[in-house]
Amino acid sequence: MAELNAAEKKELESVAVKIRRNVLRMLKAGRSGHVGGALSSADILAALYFKIMRVDPLNPGWPQRDRFVLSAGHKCLALYGTLAEKGFLDHCILDTYGAHCTKLGGHPDMHKVPGIETNTGALGHGLAIAGGMAMGLKMDGIEAKVYVVMGDGELAEGSNWEAAAAASHHQLDNLLVFVDRNSLQIGGKTVDVMSYEPLDKRWEAFGWRVRVIDGHDMDQIVAQATDIPFEKSKPSVIIANTIKSKGLSFAENKVEYHYWKATDEGLAMAERELQAIEERIK
Amino acid sequence: MEIYKDPRKTFGEALVAAGETNKNIIALSADSSSGSGLTPFQKRFPERHIEFGIMEQGIMGFAAGLATTGKIPFVVAIAPFVTARPFEMFRNDLGYMRQNVKVVGRCAGLTYSDLGATHQSLDDVAIIRTIPGVTIINPGDPVDIVKAVHAAAEHIGPVYIKVGSPPMPVLMDESYPFRIGKGVVMQNGSDVTLIGTGTVLSKAAGAAKILKGKGIHVRLINLHTIKPLDKELILKAAKETGKIVTVEEGYVAGGMGSCIAEFLSVEHPVPMKMIGVNDQFAEPGPYEDVLALYGLQSGQIAETVEQFLKSGRHGRFYEI
Repeated sequence: MAELNAAEKKELESVAVKIRRNVLRMLKAGRSGHVGGALSSADILAALYFKIMRVDPLNPGWPQRDRFVLSAGHKCLALYGTLAEKGFLDHCILDTYGAHCTKLGGHPDMHKVPGIETNTGALGHGLAIAGGMAMGLKMDGIEAKVYVVMGDGELAEGSNWEAAAAASHHQLDNLLVFVDRNSLQIGGKTVDVMSYEPLDKRWEAFGWRVRVIDGHDMDQIVAQATDIPFEKSKPSVIIANTIKSKGLSFAENKVEYHYWKATDEGLAMAERELQAIEERIK
Repeated sequence: MEIYKDPRKTFGEALVAAGETNKNIIALSADSSSGSGLTPFQKRFPERHIEFGIMEQGIMGFAAGLATTGKIPFVVAIAPFVTARPFEMFRNDLGYMRQNVKVVGRCAGLTYSDLGATHQSLDDVAIIRTIPGVTIINPGDPVDIVKAVHAAAEHIGPVYIKVGSPPMPVLMDESYPFRIGKGVVMQNGSDVTLIGTGTVLSKAAGAAKILKGKGIHVRLINLHTIKPLDKELILKAAKETGKIVTVEEGYVAGGMGSCIAEFLSVEHPVPMKMIGVNDQFAEPGPYEDVLALYGLQSGQIAETVEQFLKSGRHGRFYEI
């Protein structure tokens, strides 16, 4: 298991704050967006793109690259923010969010933004696509891995479980899924809307190897996500317990921030909170 | 004498031949390999044949993902289960993502006549043609099937191919140049244009023969590609014959005839008659009987054309 030294950890935490700041920047431009899930997954994305995945912003189509699939496409503000930090797109493009003909739609488009591997938005599609990528890479003897971020509300879609079965059956051990378990969806708590518990047992029953972590703890994310497969010939899943809207105390764990129509006052408050986190990391 | 060939076997052999020259071609099965004619491919290229079980949504996403790595997946299963059932996957993962996946719906149209409405695909053209960038090929005979497989493999982008089930008569010359999006005039004539597609092209051809005996000169077109539509050929036929009858084994609503009517109503309106299944779930029964139920036998088509020409509907059309 990979361990982070203090400087590396600080660096990743700092990247995560920058990603969150990018999310706010897009919100400032577009005035509304799926903030809750973007912020709950921001730490995972920071760790993936800045520590775990092998990708090259100067060569986004590099055949040997690791792939990232954002199955929960509505969390795209986090992905756009991450790709900007990583150098796949200029920061100034973030200011076009919400504008007519922007490249940064409310759900990601692979044909408009370099570094985006799939068009997602309709839920329950990403895992099968990622499985196909993992399968294709194996057929070609390429050692790259495929990483997926799914929402937990999304797990009610039956197509996910088709894909989970196929990934296990075909022994796609180059596939790692993060379930961003922030436990909230539009209709309320996921356990009330459509329960998926026991979630770890469910994945295990489908032939996956499961780990459960705190999805905001960089040490845990990196330690648990770097040594895949967890077991040879089996796909891996990390259930990342997260907090919806993480980083904005006034919005954390509140379902109304799943999609936030931001006010100037709200944005200023959010900005102050992120600044405070940044100060704390320094 | 007419030669008949099994369409699924023909498809499977063509895929093996295409696979010999292009190693990126892979076959994806939803527990449907032997019934889809994939057994020879599976034997020849076991490592390029992937089984998914009865997983008709998941298989589409996997196909899209495989295509991102340069593979050319042929997803083959019973037609409604690769069109209506996973429609959103077809639209988003193949269409919107512009993935180089070939979907083959076998036992298409009414050919699963005895199994009833769940297994017939009368709406596949209507729904798949709404997806931007998807090519739809409906081969009219065994020669077309072989050519369609090779053309689809060479074409970059998502393709939907319809393949029937009962033996099909050979109608086309093996040496003819097949081009996606280009229909073929099989017989010249100036009284009326008869456009057939897919499994019932032979029925349309039979009708043309009957009408010839009655002194009616039909222009017979094999429209093997429904999308993109061969606008040039259709416009020429509309201008030169003034009347068009379409024949297809599927719903008239949104089908091949509907595509042509949408185009001509704007560009060059002419009287049309569209033969196919109307707004109903088809009855189960022996294939030829079910075709007869919807007026798709050659004699019935010939009669419909004759009535259409006699009715003078086209005259009234222009008065409006």
